[in-house]
Amino acid sequence: MASLRGLSRPARSLPLSQLSRQTYTAGSIRCASSQADLSDLEDSTLTAPQLGPDEKKEFRPWKRAADRKVRLPSGRYQFHPPKYNRGPLHPVQSPPASDPIARDFVPGPFNMPRLKQTYQSTIASDLMTLAYTHVPPGTPQKESPARLRGWDGSSPYHKNRALRGPRGSAVLPLIERDVTFNNIPEITEVTISTYVPAAIKDPDHLLVARSVVLSLTGTTPDITKTKSNVAQWGIKIGDRAGVKSTVYGNAAYEFLDRCVHLVFPRIKDWRGIRATTGDRAGNLAFGLSPDEVKLFPEVEANYWMYPAKMLPGCKVFIKTSATSDRQARLLLQSFGVPFYGDV
Amino acid sequence: MSFTLPSLRGLASRFLTRPTTLTTTLSNPSTTTQCLAASARALSTTPSLLAPPGAKSQKGPSKGPSKGGKPQQGKKKIKRGEEVRDPKMINMLSHFAVLSPNRIPPPLRMGRNRHLRHWTIHRAWLLFRRREREARERNLMRQHQSMRSACEELRLTAGPGTRDEGYLYRAAMEKKGVYGLHGVPIEYARAQTETPAKVAWNHDWKR
Repeated sequence: MASLRGLSRPARSLPLSQLSRQTYTAGSIRCASSQADLSDLEDSTLTAPQLGPDEKKEFRPWKRAADRKVRLPSGRYQFHPPKYNRGPLHPVQSPPASDPIARDFVPGPFNMPRLKQTYQSTIASDLMTLAYTHVPPGTPQKESPARLRGWDGSSPYHKNRALRGPRGSAVLPLIERDVTFNNIPEITEVTISTYVPAAIKDPDHLLVARSVVLSLTGTTPDITKTKSNVAQWGIKIGDRAGVKSTVYGNAAYEFLDRCVHLVFPRIKDWRGIRATTGDRAGNLAFGLSPDEVKLFPEVEANYWMYPAKMLPGCKVFIKTSATSDRQARLLLQSFGVPFYGDV
Repeated sequence: MSFTLPSLRGLASRFLTRPTTLTTTLSNPSTTTQCLAASARALSTTPSLLAPPGAKSQKGPSKGPSKGGKPQQGKKKIKRGEEVRDPKMINMLSHFAVLSPNRIPPPLRMGRNRHLRHWTIHRAWLLFRRREREARERNLMRQHQSMRSACEELRLTAGPGTRDEGYLYRAAMEKKGVYGLHGVPIEYARAQTETPAKVAWNHDWKR
C-alpha cells in the first residue's frame, strides 16, 4: 500500500487488483497440483460452478446500487449495539448474540465434545432401542390422570373456579413419557453449587470458592445467599455464603466427560452415585468433597494457587431432558457413571 | 453496578482467553479435553504438579537475608499490628478484578462487506447444522419405525413350535433389569476418539 501512495493520481484510481495483477501465460498459472490427479480429493461445496455468459450478463452490482432509492450510509458507518438492556419495549435493541458486533457475541464452537459425538452416533439410538415400548396400532390413547382437584359445588362461588393443586405439595410431579425417537433423554445443563458457611466469618472462603467454581466451569459464578435462620450454626437469612454456576450444551458435556474419565476413577473407594438421587423429574445430583474437587485437572494444575484448607466441596446437579429419574439414570449409565444402592 | 447487560458471557470468554495464571487451564474448556487427559498423567520425569512453580527458588533468597538478621531494603516495613494479606488471596482478587464488568472490552467493529461476509458464513453454518440435525432425526425415526413394524410382526406370529400367538412378542417386550443398576454394562461407556486404543478393554485388570 505504501508503494501505491507514490503512484500518480490516475494510476491510483485504478482498482488495486488491476495493478497488482501480473500477466501470466495460461501455462504458468497452472501449479503442479492442478496437473496431478484430483480424483482423490473430496468434493467441496466451496468449488462453485463456473458462471455462464448469461449469468455474467445478469450480474450487475453497479445496476443494483444505481437503482437503490435510499442511499446506504457511508462505508465508514458502523452500528454500535446499545450498552445497556433497557427492556423489550425500548426502540433500541441489541442484535442477536450470533451477530459478531453484538456485545455478548461468543465465537465458536471450535470443537465437538467427544461425549456429545458418542451420544449422537451411538448412545441415542441404543437408548431408544433399550427403552422401546410397543403400542399396537388401534390402541386407544392413554389419558393422563386428573391430578388437579375440583370443587364439590356446595357453594355457588365454586362455579368457574380454578382447580386445586395436589394435596401435600404445590408442585405437580412430571408423568413419565415413553422414550420415542423424538423423546430420547439427553443432557441439557450442569449446575455446580457450593455452600461455604465459613465465609460468614471470613470472606476469604467465598473468594476461594468463587475461583474454584470459576476454574471448574469456565463461567463467572454467582454468589448465593443463605435462605434460613439457624442460630446454632451461626447463619441468618441473607448471608453471602454460597456460589453457583451453570453450564449448558457443549460445556456441560465437557464437564461430564472430565468427571467420568478423569475424576471418578481417581476417587478412592468410590462406589458410585447413590441410585436414589433425583427430583422425580430426571435431574440427578451428587456431591464432591474438597479432596475430590482437588482431583479435577483444572484445580490440580494450579493447586498451589488456593489455600489448601479453604478448598470447598461442591454439589453437582445434572439436568437431563428425561421425564423420570430412571430414564435419567439410564442415560448417565450409558455415559459411564456407576450407581449403587437401592434403585 | 446498576446496569444489566444481555450477557457478559461473551466478553468474559474473551477475557478468559488471556494467558493468566488463573485461567490458563480454563481458557477454553471445550477444547482442552485431550490435553487435560495427557497432563493428568504424571511421568517419572514430570515435576510435581502440586508444588508451586517457584517453590525452591523462593525459599533460597528469602532464607539468606533472614539469617543475616538484616531487614530487606526494598520491602515496605510492616507494622506490628497490621495483618499481612495472603498473596494467594491477592492473586485471586486480581483475577476477579479482570472479570469485573468495569473492564468489558468494546464490541467488535466490522465494515459492511466484512459483516455481510460473516453473515453469509453464519447462515451457511446454520443451514449445515440444520441438515445434520434433520438427518439424525430422520435416521432415528426410521429405526423407530422398523422396530415398530418388527414388533408388530412378532405380535401376530405364532411359534416357535407349539407356542401360541404373540409369545415372542411378550418375550421381546420384557424390560427386566433395564432400569436396574446394571442396565448398561460399564464396558459400554467408551467415549469415541479419533485414535482409539488397540485393546479396547482390559478385562484382566485388577487393583
